[in-house]
Amino acid sequence: MLSRITKLVVTGVLVVTVGVITAAAFTKTVTIKVEGMKCAKCSASVSKALKATEGVQEAQVSSEKGEAVIKYDDQKLSDTKLREVINSTGFKAVEQPGQ
Amino acid sequence: MKQSRIVFAAIIILFSSAIILGQERASPEFALKDLNGRTVRLRAYRGKVVLVNFWATWCPPCRAEMPELIRMQREYASHGLQIIGITYPPETKTRVQRFARSLKVNYPIILGTRQIRARFSSEEVLPLTVVIDRNGKVNDIISGILLPEEFDDKIKPLLIKNAKEK
Repeated sequence: MLSRITKLVVTGVLVVTVGVITAAAFTKTVTIKVEGMKCAKCSASVSKALKATEGVQEAQVSSEKGEAVIKYDDQKLSDTKLREVINSTGFKAVEQPGQ
Repeated sequence: MKQSRIVFAAIIILFSSAIILGQERASPEFALKDLNGRTVRLRAYRGKVVLVNFWATWCPPCRAEMPELIRMQREYASHGLQIIGITYPPETKTRVQRFARSLKVNYPIILGTRQIRARFSSEEVLPLTVVIDRNGKVNDIISGILLPEEFDDKIKPLLIKNAKEK
């Protein structure tokens, strides 16, 4: 009986661990430079549009730094799509070398 | 005795909050001249679903959403949609006129003031869209760019629902 419970617990722990590792493997964080974000009043639209995009887990937009730090599921979204979302808000996602 | 008083007070608070939350605020009124010199009275649009859109020519998301607003005005005018654009913070008439002409804006544009903006919202976000139902009540305030799903979720039901009731 005890070994059965132990087996169940071990299986449960394994399933959770695999799940967590898989989720972490699909989660990517990217920093995108955004041009034209001079007014803090307007930059709220960038984070709003990003957060409304399926696959975006977190989006922190700073008008002072002129950048967006985005945590997303790269199985659902691509870097290119994120740039398109930013561009749709009237700002410009800057292409950086190596990206 | 003390316990029953507390319970009674809690019930009263709950009831009053429910009533307050359920009530939509009556929209502030205004009568202002648009870019063409025509007086725009908000009251005159009673019976329509009105979007009061605060924007500025220098605000990228405001500029980005305008073609979409123009499309909505064209497509949903027959369903009772009326958009009114109000520039805020204050801008020169020539600049706004030039911009509105270049986009062929198909709804009235008013040069706003701090007072007008304050009547609708204390939020400083741009753009900002106030959704007013056919009864002249503020139904929602949308901060930032108006997303297509927001139009579908918050505005379309008002256009459909109220059209059916009419």
